[in-house]
Order: sequence, then structure tokens, then C-alpha cells
Amino acid sequence: MGSRSSHAARIPDVDSIRRETGFSQASLIRLYHRFQALDRNEKGYLSRVDLQQIGALAVNPLGDRIIDSFFPDGSLRVDFPGFVRVLAHFRPVDDEDNGNRDPKEPEPLNSRMNKLRFAFQLYDLDRDGKISRHEMLQVLRLMVGVQVTEEQLESITDRTVQEADEDGDGAVSFLEFTKSLEKMNIEQKMSIRILK
Amino acid sequence: MWKQLKKHRSSSSASSASCGESLSEEELARILEQVEDKKKLIATMRSKPWPMARKLAELREAQEFVEKYEGALGKGKGKRLYACRMLMAKKWAKFKRDFDNFKTQCIPWEMKIKDIESHFGSSVASYFIFLRWMYGVNLVLFGLIFGLVIIPEVLMGMPYGSIPRKTVPRAEEEKAMDFSVLWDFEGYIKYSALFYGYYNNQRTIGWLRYRLPMAYFMVGVSVFGYSLMIVIRSMASNTQGSTSEGENDNFTFSFKMFTSWDYLIGNSETADSKYASITTSFKESIVDEQESNKEENVHLTRFLRVLANFLIICCLCGSGYLIYFVVKRSQEFSKMQNISWYERNEVEIVMSLLGMFCPPLFETIAALENYHPRIGLKWQLGRIFALFLGNLYTFLLALMDDVHLKVKTTNFPPIPSAHHISFLKYNTFLVYNVHELKKFWKVDRPSCSFGSDVPASRKSVVAPLSDVDVHSPQRKFPTVPIALFCSCLFICYLADCELSKEFMRLTVSDMLVTYITILLGDFLRACFVRFMNYCWCWDLEAGFPSYAEFDISGNVLGLIFNQGMIWMGSFYAPGLVGINVLRLLTSMYFQCWAVMSSNVPHERVFKASRSNNFYMGLLLLVLFLSLLPVAYTIMSLPPSFDCGPFSGKNRMYDVIQETIENDFPTFLGKIFAFLANPGLIIPAILLMFLAIYYLNSVSKSLSRSNAQLRKKIQALREIEKSHKSVKGRATARDSEETANGNSKNSTQLQLPKEGTMRHSASQSQTLDQKAQGPEASSSAGKAVPPASQHLPISRSPGARTGSGQARPQAHPWRSASGKSAQRPRH
Repeated sequence: MGSRSSHAARIPDVDSIRRETGFSQASLIRLYHRFQALDRNEKGYLSRVDLQQIGALAVNPLGDRIIDSFFPDGSLRVDFPGFVRVLAHFRPVDDEDNGNRDPKEPEPLNSRMNKLRFAFQLYDLDRDGKISRHEMLQVLRLMVGVQVTEEQLESITDRTVQEADEDGDGAVSFLEFTKSLEKMNIEQKMSIRILK
Repeated sequence: MWKQLKKHRSSSSASSASCGESLSEEELARILEQVEDKKKLIATMRSKPWPMARKLAELREAQEFVEKYEGALGKGKGKRLYACRMLMAKKWAKFKRDFDNFKTQCIPWEMKIKDIESHFGSSVASYFIFLRWMYGVNLVLFGLIFGLVIIPEVLMGMPYGSIPRKTVPRAEEEKAMDFSVLWDFEGYIKYSALFYGYYNNQRTIGWLRYRLPMAYFMVGVSVFGYSLMIVIRSMASNTQGSTSEGENDNFTFSFKMFTSWDYLIGNSETADSKYASITTSFKESIVDEQESNKEENVHLTRFLRVLANFLIICCLCGSGYLIYFVVKRSQEFSKMQNISWYERNEVEIVMSLLGMFCPPLFETIAALENYHPRIGLKWQLGRIFALFLGNLYTFLLALMDDVHLKVKTTNFPPIPSAHHISFLKYNTFLVYNVHELKKFWKVDRPSCSFGSDVPASRKSVVAPLSDVDVHSPQRKFPTVPIALFCSCLFICYLADCELSKEFMRLTVSDMLVTYITILLGDFLRACFVRFMNYCWCWDLEAGFPSYAEFDISGNVLGLIFNQGMIWMGSFYAPGLVGINVLRLLTSMYFQCWAVMSSNVPHERVFKASRSNNFYMGLLLLVLFLSLLPVAYTIMSLPPSFDCGPFSGKNRMYDVIQETIENDFPTFLGKIFAFLANPGLIIPAILLMFLAIYYLNSVSKSLSRSNAQLRKKIQALREIEKSHKSVKGRATARDSEETANGNSKNSTQLQLPKEGTMRHSASQSQTLDQKAQGPEASSSAGKAVPPASQHLPISRSPGARTGSGQARPQAHPWRSASGKSAQRPRH
């Protein structure tokens, strides 16, 4: 790291990434350094194995899902723009961003909808746009460990589906997911301050 | 232009707040752009078609902006100044953040409490949070008393041995250092700055001319003032928190499922405790859900509740009468010779039996009531409170009767002597502790018969632990409230110097009793169950003793009553608050350990109510009750002649009079005299009452309007959503219609949407019109007005598609008019 210069010009496509994600130059440089640190063999992209080397992720019971979220569409490698795109979801929301936003441009990646979409992806493993009962059971089992019996898990899942499902298809679609979390301060909870 | 200016302003402030280590080129470029814009604006201001006031405001703003940021662009020395300012601002923000982090880390015992919360639920954790808060309050009080009273006395007052009240009398001197004597708060401790009796009544002490009696008095008053203020502030902030939380009752389980996991956990232990807390929170929600789903037969429930209350009132009256009867009988016994052991101790036995059996009885009766466990707990607490208060009151009444009788018959001096009082107090103290394990100090006092013939000294009473569940809430009740109320009444009679000792002793004994009970009741029991389970006939863990559950109500009430006693005694024993601080500190560690090692979570884990106000209210009540006797003594009783800082005065508050006369200029004295005139005070009190009434009504109206606004926002949101989906479905439907030309499907699609639209509109006019519309006429033309009336209210795109769309809408309304009228009832 010492031998490399921290000039922004070394990052490929810096301008387009910045426009897409809204990160400042300094943050991008930091993220690029982190990307390079994770990329052990200097391949230019990250694979699952690289991400699994992070100690804290390995201990996190839902670590696999977090890693999966970096690989949308089931691909096996993520390059720097993809890496930054995922992390851009966690950028704190600035109010002025919305004030002077051009309505024709697509929503910034750290808008509430996009954050929720990211969270939705964590639970919707098969990417069919709905969280089925089976997926919910899996999540519950991961979160709760062995202390709750199977029937209790089933009844909790049933109750959740009953609460959130509006069109009666037995699964929670993205819109229903959004509605059930409308009281939650997603902008604040899904933001990492250092990514400003 | 207005918006553009706003954008410039806000983005420039954003840039200053969020820039990195130094101003990067892009930011400089942006600022340059903005400055150019502003300059252009200033130049063209004259030609703008704005009102004069606005022009002036804009001009001023633009000029300030240019001035401020030209420095950044390197014109003159401004750049460095600007960069410095930016650096300072950034450093300040970082410092504030670090300080906030530090403050959060400084909160003591946070990890312990979080641990307990994840294992036992939020109600058990709320006890520990309450304990911590109490510790903080006591620490502040201790600081006040220590710094303003004890330290000056130790540093500047007359040293030990100089005057009689500060010296151990010769008779006691050989034994003054014995541990047993010290433990009893006699000996050297009695003649130290910890007690009221040590203080001299010199008006000023030391070279600073510190007015010690005045300070003593003011500190005593401010202890109560501060406690009052902080209890009320805590109650107020609790209510604020609960209203702003918002009602997320609709999606509790979804919330918990999707948002309870913390993705930042990187530690397996933390993950384990997170599992435990998620499980507990699900269990809590399940209990809440079960409670709300219960089939409520209103009349039966109401009848049962009334019946339960009636039974309990009968029990209370019965116990009061029993005590009265027994006390009267014991007075007759005392006249006889040769009374048996049972007759001698009948009063104590009866009272302790009542204290032991009534609370479980209340719990069984309360099972009729079928309340949510949280509410049931509150009722149980209130009833036990009433039981003990009632018992004590009747006991004292009966005794007072006897005193009056004695006074009439034998011309005794009406004020019982100190010895009798403490003896009586210890009697009642013992009464409720017969079944508690405790050491009882030797009462080496002459046994003048006072109500009952009791031997002068008692050895420690070791009673077997009762078979009844030891961990019912009454465990904590016995010691402190009795002492509290005894002292409350006898404080009038007892000399102040004697009182301080009694308080100290009671605090220490209460502390010991608690710890020993926890040790024996919880810990030994847990050890027994765990280790004896291997060689016992039945399953100890599931069956009879099993592990104890943490007794929340008993502990909280014990804490509250203990604090009441401290408040009462702090005026007479300045060292008492220090002892309490130590006690709370050790109690925190001890109970945290005991809970984690020997208790199991409750079977029905219920969430603590979000506002802690029930306990706070109780604390406030106890504060007032402990304030009253102290205020009474200060106001009406003369201080004792030879001890304490007010000795020799007529009344304790004379010290204020003295200070005003001697230390303040004369006109202040006149002002105070003027202010103390009842003619001024009574109108002031009236004014305060009126202010309270006014503020109360203002707050009621504000909360009403708050609720209305919330409902309005919700309604608007629903309308927007349904219109968005209507628009989506309308366009989908259009394409569908052209595809299959079947309007029946569209009816089904439309009907739920129309229903929700009507439901959420919450405007009865449109509802009525829609209900009437279909019935009014059959022509599509006439049905259009209701549709189009509804549409402009919310900016629905449906109106744009024109009447072509309105016509198909009329049909479903007409055909389903019966159903539609019922929809809004939901």
C-alpha cells in the first residue's frame, strides 16, 4: 500500500462511479484501498473466498447472506464498481440530495427504496421477488438458534405472513415488505457514517 | 431562482461539512461557480421583478456569501483563514462525536444489564436500570451532603474531644472500640460526623466563617428538593418517550423477523446473547398476542373482577380486625400472671402469619380477574401495599389506645421515653421477621411494660424457612415499610439524637437481611436443586423446589421503601446516604451475580411497560411520606438541648431567621419578612393552581389535535397509495379490457379498490353520495358526478382518462350497492 500513490486517477472509471453512487473522492479512495487489501492475489476482482477471509463476517451467523448480497445475479466475481455499488446502499442520506435532484435521473443508490430493496434481497434467496414462508423459516432458524420449538417457529411465520401479506399469496412481496417497515427509520439504521 | 439560491446555500454548507482532509479541486471549482453566480445576481438585482423586501434580503445574503467564500478561493489572505475555519469545524465535529461515544461507554454496568436483558427479558432488566438510576441519585445526594456538611465539619469544626457532645463518655470508653459496639453504631462511631448529635451549634466555624447550622439546614432541604425534582423530571421524560414512539402495533412480528438481527455482530458470544434476546422478544410478543386474542366475555369478566376485589377487601378488613383483637387480648394477658409462651408472643405470631399467607391468597383470588400479567402485577403490588399499611395502622391504633388508657389511669407522662419507642419499634420489626433469617441485636433496655410483657433481651431468632414459596413479593415488605411508618409516627416523640442511630441500624440490618435471604433462598436452593437432583426421588428441577424466579415486584418495592427511609433519615444522620451508596453498589454486583447464577427466566415473559411511571409514582408517594415527618419536626418541635447543630434554639428554622438578621443587609430582611406574609403567599398559591389548570387544559387540547393530525396523515397516505395502485390497475385493466372485453373481471378488481378508497377517504359526504349514487339513477351519465366528485379530491389520474372510464365504474357500484354500503363500517 505504501508504494502505491493514492491518486484518484488510478481508479478506473472514477467519474462514472462517482456519479452513480454519489461517494466523495476521498471515500472512493478509501474504498479502493480496502478493495485492494481484500483482493489478495491482485486479480482485479473479489471472489467469495476473499470475502470469507474477513474475520468478523465468518463469525456472523448470517455472514453467508451478507457475502451473497455482493454477488447479484449469481455471478462469481465482483469488480470494484460492483463492490462500490453495494456499499453505496449504506451511504447516509443527505437531505439536500433530494432537494436538488433531477427528477429524470434514476434514484440515488442510497434512497430509502433502494435500501429496502437491498434488505429484501437478503431474505429473498431465490430472487423471485417474494419472501416465501420457507425462506422466512430459514431466517428465523438462523436468528433464534435452537431455543424455540419448531411449532413456535411455524406459528411465528404464519403470523408474520398474516400481518404483512395483503394480496393473499402467502408470501411477502417487495411492496408489502416496504409497507410493513414504513415506520422504521431505515435511512438512519441502514447507514454507515464513515461512508459519507 | 429562489430554489436555485437555496440549492447553492445548502450545497455549500454540505460541502463544508462533508469535505475530506483538505479542500479538493472539485469543491473549489464548485465554490467558484457559486461565487460567480452570486456576483451575477448582485449585478442584476435591480432588474428582477421581486418585491423590495425580498430583493434586499437576497442582496444581503449574496453579499455575505461572496465575502465568506472569496477567502476560500485564495483572494488575499482569506484562503488560509477559510481553511483554518474549516479545519476547526471538522475537529469540533469529531471531538463531539468522540465525546458522545465516551459518554456512552461511561454508563456503568451497561453490558451487565444488557446481558441480563437478553436472558431474562426487559422486565427483570428494568429493575436493574431502576437500581442504577437510584444509585446515581444517591451519589448526587451524597456529594451534596458530604461536600457541604461533613467535610467542613471535619476540617474546620471543633475536633473530637473538645466538647461533651463530641466525646465518648468515660463510662463507655473501654468498650468504645469493640467491634460489636461499633456494629451497633455506638462507641466511636456514635460520636463522629456521621451523626446529627456530633454537630456543634456554633454559628460560624473556622477561618472561613462557614455557617454550619445554616448549611446543615439548607442541605437537608435541598436533598428533598433535588429528589423531588429529579423524580418528577424522570416521570415527565418517560411520558414523552412513549408518545413519540409511534404505534407499530400493526406489524410487530414482521418487524421482529426482518429487523431484529444485528448484522454488525462479529463476536460469537455477542451472537449467543443476541439469540437469547431475540427469543425472549418473540416470546414476549407471543404473550401479548395471546392476551389480546383472548375471548372476552365482558360481563362475566367484570363480575369476576368485582367479586375478586370484594373478597380481597374482606380479607384486608379481616386481617385488620384480627390484629386489633389480638393486641387487645395481649394487653389483657399482660395483666395476668403465668402466661404461656404462646400468649406472650401471640401478636407477633399472628402478624407474621398474616404477612405470610395473605399475599399468596391475594394471588389466587387474582387469578379470577384474568388480567394481562403486567397489569396483574400492579394490582398485586397495590394490594400487598394496602395489606401491610392496614396491618401496621391497626396495630399502632391499638397500641395508641392503650397508651391513652394508661395515661388516664396512671398519670404517666404522655410522651413515651426513647427506650420504649425503640423497644416497640424493634418489636414490630421482629414481628414481621420471625420467618426471616437475621441477627437481632441485644436490646439491653429496661423492660418497662408497655403494652405487652416482653423479655428484655432476645437471642437471635432462627426460624425454619417456610414451606410457602419464599420468593413471593412479600419477602421485601416486612422490614422497611414497618420501620418507615413506625419512625414516621415516633419521630415526633423521639429525641433527634437517638433517631439517627435507629435509622442507621435499620438500613444496615435491612441490607444484611436482603443479602442473606438471596444467598440462602436463591443460591443455596439452586445449588441444592442442581446437585441433589442426581440422588433424589423426583425431578427437583421440574418439580417442587426448582430454580427460583427473580422477584421483580418485591425487589423494586424494597428499593423504593429503603430509599424512603434514607430520605427520612438523611436529615438526622448525614452519614446515612454514604452508607446507602455503598449498599446500592454492592447490591448491584451481588444481585447481578445472583440473577445470572441461580435464577431462571419467568415462564411467561412479558415486556415491561414502556413507561416506568408506576414505580416512579410510588417513589414520589414515598418521598412525600418521608418528607412529612421531617417537615413536621422542623416546624413544630424544639430541637434537643444538648446535641445537634440546632441545639438551644426554639425551633430549627430559627437558623434562617438568624442568618438573615446577621449576615444579610437589613433591607433584605425586610423583603423576606414581606414575602413571608401569608397575604402574599396565599394568592401566590392560588395563582399556581390556576396555572396548573391552564397548562393541563392546553396540553389536553394539544394532544387531541396531535391525534387528529396523525389520523389525517394516515388517511392521506392511504388515499395516495390506493390511487397509485388504481392508476396502475386502471392502465392494466384497459389493456386487459381490450384483450378479453370482459368487464366482470374488472368488477372484481375494482371493487376491493373502491372499497378501500371509500374506507380511507373518511369523508362521509363522498361515502353517502357513492352509496346513493348507484341507487339514484340507472343512466351512466348520472353516475358520473359521484365519481368525478371523488376524483378531484385526490389528484387521481382517473379524471384525465375522461368519462370513458367513469362509465364502466358506475356498473360495479350499482350492482354492489348493498355490499358497498357495509364496507366502510370496518
